[in-house]
Amino acid sequence: MVMSSTQNGLQKSMENIKATEQMKQNTLRYLEAQRTNQKRNIFQQRPYAALRYAMAVVCVFLMAGAGGYTVYSRPVSYISIDVNPSIELAVNRFDRVVSAKGYNAVGQDILQHIPLKNISYLQAIDRLLQDAYYSRYLNRDSQLVVTVVSEHSDTMLDQIHANDSFQALNALTYSSDTACMKEAHQHEMSFGKYRAFLELSQYDAEITVEDCHGMSMGEIQNRIRTCQGHNRKDTAGDNPMKGHQNGHSKSHGHH
Amino acid sequence: MEAYADMVRRICFVHLKNRHDTEDVFQNVYLKYLLYEGSFESAEHEKAWFARVTINACTDWLRALARRKWVPLDVLAEESAELDNPSKEVLEAVLKLPEKYRDVIYLFYYEGYTAVQIAKILGKKENTVYTWLSRAKDILREKLGGEWS
Repeated sequence: MVMSSTQNGLQKSMENIKATEQMKQNTLRYLEAQRTNQKRNIFQQRPYAALRYAMAVVCVFLMAGAGGYTVYSRPVSYISIDVNPSIELAVNRFDRVVSAKGYNAVGQDILQHIPLKNISYLQAIDRLLQDAYYSRYLNRDSQLVVTVVSEHSDTMLDQIHANDSFQALNALTYSSDTACMKEAHQHEMSFGKYRAFLELSQYDAEITVEDCHGMSMGEIQNRIRTCQGHNRKDTAGDNPMKGHQNGHSKSHGHH
Repeated sequence: MEAYADMVRRICFVHLKNRHDTEDVFQNVYLKYLLYEGSFESAEHEKAWFARVTINACTDWLRALARRKWVPLDVLAEESAELDNPSKEVLEAVLKLPEKYRDVIYLFYYEGYTAVQIAKILGKKENTVYTWLSRAKDILREKLGGEWS
């Protein structure tokens, strides 16, 4: 489409019109109020609904702990960002990071220095990659691996890939699933690193989760590449769990 | 919220021009999103959903309040105070277009949608979109000179 100067004028004027932070915050407050009102309306229409709701709340609190379990704080997607620091982000329906957890000492240390909560996951990843404190771990020998668990993992990975800093790092990306995530957490490991462990364990039967706890993602990926090299020579077969550099792997990292 | 908030805001601006109305519709759109139980096939699908729902929400809002469907210049001055003069002239001309023409001009020239995609978003026939685009361009050409192609 060839743009005339007046069409460019329209583009420029529209660029200046943006949703303000105040507008977004007001909207979040409004949605919370609506959610509360909706509950009240249900109670007025159906008297027993209040009792049922109270029981449901008790159940939710028992299951989830006594935290504020709102729509906004409920994560629907998870992102594991692993180099040597292993960090997991929990993301709500509005693409905002509602919690961040470090799965090793350096991961926890980074979260002490870089606030990642209450911003979009894209901003959080960008903030992390731009931060000098985190960049110390992004050297020539390191390997950044981002793994997503979400119903919309492809969309999320597409958006993550659009980040210039991310592209420059030749990062690997994978999607995984909640079963893998649960297993990972039982081993006190991020699900991104655990997925890599599962991949490596396909080639190396002797590798253990404990071994991987002490390895960086660069070391795990190197071991996988080495094993894949041997495997190709031996079998010339393709492994379904192979990752793609700068592409989305459809592997779920879970047997 | 970050991904489409600016687009929602711009569509509201194209229709409403009043900050309070804009904020109300903005909030309604996100309430619809919160209550939406379907799933999106892709980011593009989700974006088109936001565009369609925002346009419909603006139209419903205007109907409900029986507000004026054209732009009062004093409100425009408030909303676009930060724009430079040449941009303001173009924007004013676009905002004075009939509502249906504003949508197609915005979606075509700013969001970069094709006529086929716009037809799907607006729930209109492709030929209707072509006609609206052509008529909108005629009006803009008349007001701003021959640069609208």
